[in-house]
Parts: sequence; C-alpha cells; structure tokens
Amino acid sequence: MHLGFLVDLHLCMGCKGCEIACKVENEVPLSTWRLRVKYVDVGVFPETKRTFTPLRCNHCANAPCERICPVSALHYIENGIVNIDKERCIGCAGCVMACPYGAIYIDPETQTADKCTYCAHRIASSLMPACVVACPVEANIFGDLDDPASNISRYIMENQGDVQVRKPEKGTDPHHYYVGGGNIQLNPLASVRTEGHNLFGKLTSKMPVGGHH
Amino acid sequence: MVHESLAATQAVVTLDVGLPGIVWGWIITMNMWAKSIGTGVIFMLFYLLKKYPNEAGYLRFPLTVISIVAIHVFLFFTVIDLHQMFRFWHIFVYGHFTSAIAVGSFLATGFVGLIFLLAYASYIKKDNALFDKVLTWTVLLGIPVTLYTAALMAQSTARELWQMPTEAVQMILAATLSGSATVLLVGAKLPYEAKRDMAVVLGFSAFMAFLIYMSEYVFGPMKAEEVAATLEFIKGHGEYTTMFWIGQVFAFIIPMVLVTLSVQNKSTGLLTLASVSALAGLWVTKHVWLVIPQLLSMS
Repeated sequence: MHLGFLVDLHLCMGCKGCEIACKVENEVPLSTWRLRVKYVDVGVFPETKRTFTPLRCNHCANAPCERICPVSALHYIENGIVNIDKERCIGCAGCVMACPYGAIYIDPETQTADKCTYCAHRIASSLMPACVVACPVEANIFGDLDDPASNISRYIMENQGDVQVRKPEKGTDPHHYYVGGGNIQLNPLASVRTEGHNLFGKLTSKMPVGGHH
Repeated sequence: MVHESLAATQAVVTLDVGLPGIVWGWIITMNMWAKSIGTGVIFMLFYLLKKYPNEAGYLRFPLTVISIVAIHVFLFFTVIDLHQMFRFWHIFVYGHFTSAIAVGSFLATGFVGLIFLLAYASYIKKDNALFDKVLTWTVLLGIPVTLYTAALMAQSTARELWQMPTEAVQMILAATLSGSATVLLVGAKLPYEAKRDMAVVLGFSAFMAFLIYMSEYVFGPMKAEEVAATLEFIKGHGEYTTMFWIGQVFAFIIPMVLVTLSVQNKSTGLLTLASVSALAGLWVTKHVWLVIPQLLSMS
C-alpha cells in the first residue's frame, strides 16, 4: 500500500476549511501550518483571476528529509507515509533544509520538526485525513496508489495528461498530485512574492523556524 | 524572488505564509569556519613534519592545542544550533547512516579522540615517534571530517546552490587556507622556506577557491533556475552583494596579492596580514554562501 493525495485545483475554491481542520485535528500551534492554501492572483484588473493551491508534505517515495535525518525521527511507515517521531527529533533542521517544498518547520512549542503526516493517526483508525473530511467540494482525493480501483488511482487515470507533481526535477517522487495546476501555482519562481502578503504576518511571539515563516 | 514571471500573467502571491527566514545562520558559519581551522592545522602540521622535521618539531604541541580548541568550538556551535540540544546523544543511539550529520558525528568523535591522543603523545609522553604515527591516522580521518559538511549541504535537496563535488573541494580548500594562515600566525620561529611553503599553500588555496566561486557566480545561473534566483541575492543591488564581495576580497584576493608580493620579495612581513585577512574573509564568504539559498521561497 502506498497512500497518496491528489488535489483537483479546478474544484478548490480557497475556503481554507482544510487548513483549519488540519490545525484543529493536529493541534498545530499558532503561526505554523502543516497545510495551507496559497493564493496567487493572475492578470491585470479588471481581467483578473485568483488561483488556490493547497500545499502540504508530498510524502515523497525518495524523501530528502528522511535521508538527511540523523536519528530517523523522519521515517517511512508501511503505507508509504513519511511520519515523524517528535520525541526522537533533535531539532537539527536538516529536514527543513532538505525539503524542496518548504513543508517542514520547527514547532515553536516543542522545538522539534513538524509537518503533515497525512493524519497517520486517523488512518490507523480507518478514518480519512481531517482535510479530506472538511473539504466541501471534494477537491482533496486520498487513497492507495497501488490499488487501481481506488478513488485516487481512477482520478489519475481519468485525468491523464493533466496530473502534475511539484518540482519533478528534484527526483523526490512525490506522492502528492495536482490536477489542473499551472506553472504559476506549482512553481514558486513563477510569481511575484512580496513580504506582507502572508498569513498573520504581524505575529512576533513564538515564531517558528523554517517552513517559510 | 521571481524568475519566470510573465507579463501575460502578472502572477502575484497574494496570500501565503511569510517569506522564509534563516534556519542555519551564523552559528553554522562558526561551525564550518572553526572546523576548517581544526582540521587544516593538522594537515599543515603533517606536511611540515615530513618536510622540515627538525625545524617544525616544536609545533607539534601548539598546533595540536589549536586543533583541539577549534574542533571544540566547532562542536559547541554544532550542539547549540540544535533546537533540542540535550537530545544530541540520540545520534549515537539512533544513528541513521544515510545522513551526513550522523556519519559526521561519529567521524568527528573519532577525530577528537585522535587529537587528544596527539596531545598525550606530545605533552605527557613526549614521544615524537608515537605522535607522528598517530598524526598520519589523524590526517586520514581529518579528510572525511572536513568533507562531511559538504555532504550535508549536498543532501539539502532544496538548496540547489550547494552542489557536490564543488562543496567538497571548497571545504578542503577552506581547510588548507585556514590551516596555512593559522600556521603562519603562530609559526614565527619557522625557517623562511617553511613559511614560504605555507604562503604558497595559502595563496594557491585562495586562488582555487576564488576561481570556483567565480565559476559558480558566472556559470551557475546557466544551468539551473534556482541557482540563478539564489545568485540574484549577491548580484547588482542584491541583499548580500556587498557582504559577498567583502568576503571574496578579504578571503582570497588580498591573500593572493600579499602572498605573491611576499614570495617575490622573499619577505614574510606581509604574511601575517594575509593570514588575518584570509581567516576573517573565510568566515564572511562561508556565511554568505550558507545564507543565500535559504532566502528563496519554496512554495
């Protein structure tokens, strides 16, 4: 079994329900995010469009974070999830430096690395990840990539030619796919980013380290 | 930082988490800088004892002490950079050997053992034969100790600027540069020929390191868009342009010029200045190269 995620960006409407569900489910501290939705505006007024891209850990099959972790705090579990053992983590931030997706940060409360685990604890109880449950338009599709009859496998087959991963050139083999994504959504170098357009940018206490904070 | 923006799209990120901060900052710079000195002086001592066994013999203990101090500075800054520093022992219990950090920790521990053995041989036992025998093994272990940080940087998949084998060569050159500079500062009693040899090592290391940095500066952007975007921070009005060039001038250009003048004139007076300049400049150079890839947004 290899669990994977697919987000249909045609469906996502940027409600951030997944973000909130994730924070509540995993008790993610203030100013940190295991999952967040990036907004990119395209065009010039009045011909403008806003795009929404949920970003989370890609649970790569060839994960740089797992490889660089000196104590195996980041490790694979048998269903393909890259999980984290916060009790073992020494906070070296090697994983933060290795992750090409900026998905890992140092938790300001525990001072250890943290990231999306595809809600491994819920999956162990045969539940769907919190973000999947919260999505009102079923833009998040989750399932077993090894099973051709799973929702995610069928979705990938039906949308062949429009399924992408982030930064394929890194050779990380992400198990997180996007349908309907363009360069401006998936390539961080393809859109202008100025300081100030960020979530809760004025927070000054308990600021985390890394993970784009 | 934007690199591929099209006028047709005018794409602007309007909501996301903030721009990334520096995760590995000056503490890691101190780590790399001190390690270069700690292993570099051992490499230079090995050379001097082979070529000038009588004249350089008095440096056995002083250079061992410098190596011990520098390696402990390196270890101190390594540990304090951990967000859970009191869990450092986890590396030795749960070591994961695909990680350069884990491998490096074991190598550095072995190196510390050997330099303490050198101190024992030179200060307590006063046995030069034992010292020289242990020194050979210390040099052999010193090479991977010098290189493992390069391996760590190469494992940092997100930071395209840090490539192997470039970083490995730069780490070795940093060790020979800082090692020779340190020997020139403390080896006042060395004969002229030994000082000239150290000066040549210093000048050559500076030249090679400068050549590699300039090659990356000019040609790096032609191969990878992330490298191009990263190097924008040290080009034009980039945030780190001034600091980058201060580092290059002090670490490499000034030592190259002073070493050339010194060798030509058979005078060692300028070498002290060249050495101080190289050591200070190396810190700045390492710092800039460490920091700039971390300024790129990954999302």
